[in-house]
Amino acid sequence: MTTAQLDKMRLELRRGVLVLAVLGSLKQPHYGYSLRQQLQQGGIDIDEGTLYPLIRRLADQGLLDSEWQQSEGRERRYYQLSTLGTALLTPLIKEWQQLNGALTNVLGDLVDDINNFSEASNKPEGNP
Amino acid sequence: MELVKRYIAAVQRELPEQKREEIGRELNANIMDQLDSMSAQQGELTASAVSVVLKQLGHPRTVAQQFVPPLPLISSAYMSLYINTLFMVLGVLFVLQVITSSMAWLGSANMGLVGYLFNLARGFMEDAYFAFTAITLSYWLISRKQPEPKSCNTKNWLPEQLPAAGQTWQHIKLQDIFTDLATYIFLLVVIWYPQFMPTEQLASINLLLSDQLMLILQWSTPVIMFGIGSSLWQLRSRLWNKTRLIMNVVVNSFFAALAVFIATITPLLQESAFSLQKVFTLLQIERTAMIVFVVIAIITIWEVVRDIWRLRKLSYTH
Repeated sequence: MTTAQLDKMRLELRRGVLVLAVLGSLKQPHYGYSLRQQLQQGGIDIDEGTLYPLIRRLADQGLLDSEWQQSEGRERRYYQLSTLGTALLTPLIKEWQQLNGALTNVLGDLVDDINNFSEASNKPEGNP
Repeated sequence: MELVKRYIAAVQRELPEQKREEIGRELNANIMDQLDSMSAQQGELTASAVSVVLKQLGHPRTVAQQFVPPLPLISSAYMSLYINTLFMVLGVLFVLQVITSSMAWLGSANMGLVGYLFNLARGFMEDAYFAFTAITLSYWLISRKQPEPKSCNTKNWLPEQLPAAGQTWQHIKLQDIFTDLATYIFLLVVIWYPQFMPTEQLASINLLLSDQLMLILQWSTPVIMFGIGSSLWQLRSRLWNKTRLIMNVVVNSFFAALAVFIATITPLLQESAFSLQKVFTLLQIERTAMIVFVVIAIITIWEVVRDIWRLRKLSYTH
């Protein structure tokens, strides 16, 4: 498999999950850059070119409310979950949990194998 | 911050006019936040550091497309319908063009076979350009106004209504149907159009076929009409079944026998209408015409054998 193929599949895999991560993070109001930082701190690295259009798309769909505000001498557009977004977030989280559980069952053995292989590779030579 | 301004302006140029202001404003705020954060850590930013940040964001066109993804000319929901309409209309136009070009050919004293083919191709291309543009524009408008078809066949369907699984060859291609239709109509025009011409015009036309051959072809009209009916029926449901195959075998057997019979008679062509005699002898031209009919016979016999083989395959599967 080429790197390009892997990148494409990773992008597809992440696409739906990112929506959930963004919606979950926007329970509190955020502007674009602060949301990106918040996601990064949570371990989700998302580039600006993906995040900013995604927020706008979610706002266009009525899942987010937005408002321009002046803060620290600059105008920023703050986003927050709308009523519709809040209503949708709970079933989406449940769906994610169900999917995650099912995937853990399906991929369980494979994940164990990969973890064992990684541990064995990381052990210094000569150690039992 | 000149670079940032240039970058935002470049993104805005790629956006639809009504979204430029808002997206530009928001993108500017996001970039400035990022630059502020960097300068808080690294001190005052140089132009090259700003350039790196902007390059990381992506090419202005890519960024603009991420904000407003480009819409395809025709929505994917209409694509198969669009292609079907296009082929049907182009097929009908081809048949109509065969009729008009054949009439023009028969009615003209100067147009040869090459001229006829050129006229046919040119006329069809002119019509096809117009049809392609008109159909594409219509579907573009429909896609804009109503992205999903109202009467969607993909919702109201039953598996029981689907045709039998069948073999790959059972699907009849649209171009095959329209080629057959065009051939039958060409034959009808060649056979019958001269009958309705004034005598003076008839004397000056490029009618090469002998009276004997014309008479034989006139007697074959009912089979040609049967062939047209068969092709139109194939348009209704484009799948070879036993009845359609039998009809095809009957029509092609008749034409194969007719072509063999015609190849044996002389004269095939009118002696008086020959301008080619300056280059070839009449005997050479007659022999060429005979070979053409033999080739036609071989092709139709091959189609008969193919359809009989298909009929046998169908019988085995049932």
